[in-house]
Amino acid sequence: MADVSARAGLVEQIRMVSWLRWRVLRNGFRNKSRRLDLIGLIFSGVFSAVFVVAVTIAFFAGTKYVLEQHVAQLFSLFFLALLVWWQLFPIMLAGFAPQFPFRSLLRFPLDLSAFYLIGMAYGLADAAAIAALVWMLAMLAATLIAEPAAAPIMLMVCVLFALLNITMERLLGAWIEKLLAKRRAREVFFSLFILAMISLQFINPIAQKYGRAIVPAVRGWLPYLWILPSSFAGDALARAIDKEWASMALKIAGLAFYLVLFSAFLWMRYAKLYSGEELSETAAPARVEKRAAVTEADREERMGFLPPQVMAVLQKELLYLKRNTFLFFGLIFPPMMLLFFSVQLTGTHPGGLKRSITPDLFFPGMMAYLVLILIAPSYNSFSYEGRGMQSYFTSPVRFRDVLLAKNLLTVAILFSEIAMCVVLVGWRVGFPTLPVLFATLAALVFSIVGQLTLANWTSLSFPRKIEFGKMQGQRNSGMSVLVLFGVQITFGAVSALILFSGRWSGNPWLPAEVFSVLAAVALGGYFPALDAFTDFAEKKKETLLDAFCR
Amino acid sequence: MPEIAIATEKLTRRFGALTAVDSMDLQVESGQFFGFLGPNGAGKSTTIKMLTGLLAPTSGRMSLLGIDFTRHPVEVKRQIGVVPEGMGLFERLTAPEYLEFVGRMYGLDRATTRKRSDELLEFMQLADRSKTLIADYSHGMQKKLALAAAVIHGPRILFLDEPFEGVDALAAGALKELLARMTERGVTIFLTSHVPEIVERLCSHVAIIKRGQLVAQGSMEQLRAGVPSVEGRTLTLEDIFLSVVGQGADRAQLEELSWLT
Repeated sequence: MADVSARAGLVEQIRMVSWLRWRVLRNGFRNKSRRLDLIGLIFSGVFSAVFVVAVTIAFFAGTKYVLEQHVAQLFSLFFLALLVWWQLFPIMLAGFAPQFPFRSLLRFPLDLSAFYLIGMAYGLADAAAIAALVWMLAMLAATLIAEPAAAPIMLMVCVLFALLNITMERLLGAWIEKLLAKRRAREVFFSLFILAMISLQFINPIAQKYGRAIVPAVRGWLPYLWILPSSFAGDALARAIDKEWASMALKIAGLAFYLVLFSAFLWMRYAKLYSGEELSETAAPARVEKRAAVTEADREERMGFLPPQVMAVLQKELLYLKRNTFLFFGLIFPPMMLLFFSVQLTGTHPGGLKRSITPDLFFPGMMAYLVLILIAPSYNSFSYEGRGMQSYFTSPVRFRDVLLAKNLLTVAILFSEIAMCVVLVGWRVGFPTLPVLFATLAALVFSIVGQLTLANWTSLSFPRKIEFGKMQGQRNSGMSVLVLFGVQITFGAVSALILFSGRWSGNPWLPAEVFSVLAAVALGGYFPALDAFTDFAEKKKETLLDAFCR
Repeated sequence: MPEIAIATEKLTRRFGALTAVDSMDLQVESGQFFGFLGPNGAGKSTTIKMLTGLLAPTSGRMSLLGIDFTRHPVEVKRQIGVVPEGMGLFERLTAPEYLEFVGRMYGLDRATTRKRSDELLEFMQLADRSKTLIADYSHGMQKKLALAAAVIHGPRILFLDEPFEGVDALAAGALKELLARMTERGVTIFLTSHVPEIVERLCSHVAIIKRGQLVAQGSMEQLRAGVPSVEGRTLTLEDIFLSVVGQGADRAQLEELSWLT
């Protein structure tokens, strides 16, 4: 007869969860590529430590100043900063840090209260929480020095505030997990996140133009901050220093009320998880819709000049682009950045440079920038294939056709983006002179075709799988990034030299002529290279399948 | 003389010091339902990967339907269908889109691809999920789709790596019937499985691989003849398999787990 394990103690379970988190992190570095990530982690660790120490000093000095200058009402701002940090930083970090499936702990014999407490302990072990606790300790230390009588109240407020923040962070995390359980929601979230990051670029120009107008509106909103728990925490301290005990007790009660309220919400959320809430995204069967009968039009090829295999890959690539919210939203990025640069560099805005850049400089510069941004994914063009990569090797297709289809899509995207940006440049800055326009267009052909050839090589040589809707560890291999930058710098330097040769030689058409020759050479080399890549892919088969099908 | 569908000659694959497949001489006749059995790590997947173009052999030769694979890979691939380990699906497509992609890759015209795709989805009971992304399919549904994709071009040899793993009994029954009918029409099926019962029920011929080497090959009758019989009953493939590759955990090892038993 098999025996049954004894009930494990809660402390032991919390210890084991901490151990598990550590092992997950450590084992993540056991393969070679992850070991390279460790170098990055050490760098970011040192940077983070410096940041935390600097902010600790700031909190210590700030608290001391507030107490010595008797401006205790400013404590609310300190707690507001802690609140924002504690709640937002884990969300921003979630995409990059190794994730541990907390819900999976439910398969162990835990009761709900143990699950709740482990959840709270888990929240305490978060990097943001540890940093915030250090900063609160700095505030406490400063209080002990500057106003020892207020230290017990500071300690009580900090403990309450820390508990509240951990509860809120866990609650927020649990809700985000529920919302992001749907693949589509996950992708939209990450795309919006990226868009938000891009939008931050516009804060400076907007602040320059509308800054003064915004200030009164912001001031008008400030009084409403009293409702936040950070204000209750700060006010409780201010009242304690002023010895208004009744008012202080009221503020602490307010803070405690928040803690009870959010604890109840978290308990309810965890109770749902505990009862086996299904977060799976398998869709219910859809109603069967009969496809239209096959018509004569179906028998005709819409792009008959392309082999069916190339068409098949091209169609698949288009569908993948449409469904890759991250890449799809990324197409908005170049025109947005062009707008941004036109505002910053051309003097059409008061915040722009005093000596604005002429269209003859701005146009080639922006086109080079477009190529830099849009061609980058081609350096790891199989990144999203996953196990589908096997299909290319089991079906009767030559790799030249696969690469050709992928390159055709890149060219189509580049063409449409360039066309859109040319119109935007014309509107915002003005068109360049004809010699520069033709030289730039020929340079684009040279650069795009030349880079695609090299990008095909790196795609086959240094493949790296990227997963949809994930941010952690989702990047190209270090080598392909290195090649990308090397190639971009070389192409950029050569192109700049050729462009300036027109000025130096006194012949404005010289760059256009040189670039035309280079474009012809690049085109001439592209197709033989494609054929060579068919054999090369065969040699790299195992590397490719290992990278994508593991 | 029957046509040889699959023939290998001293087929070898090494991974560093490990020889996963060692000088394998294999012959499968056209129209055979061929089962390829072996314990974990014996070299089944390595063999099927080499035979389907997913892995290059270190040495040796292999020909399918008389065509040398190394010299004419595209020609060979036109004739075969594959459900590889991991299924090789593009998970960001819907099932009809994926089947259309595969059909076109095999050179079928659009109309034929659509017609066959609709019929296959109906047969595999996936038609009501035609708008769901493959990423959101269950494992069993993905397996059925992979099988549909492997047969859409009407292959002459079908390679199936663990085709019934994760497929419900109802669908598995229909699939087995489909495969049996395909062999009646002369299609050769090469199947790997961990489950001897499945292989015994479906396959006319079986090969057993152990540590990269073929240790038995032939029809069920031929295999039975090569193994000492047990009095009073017909040997099952499991008996033959255990006899050829050796027993699993012995009594002494089980004694160590007395706390469980």
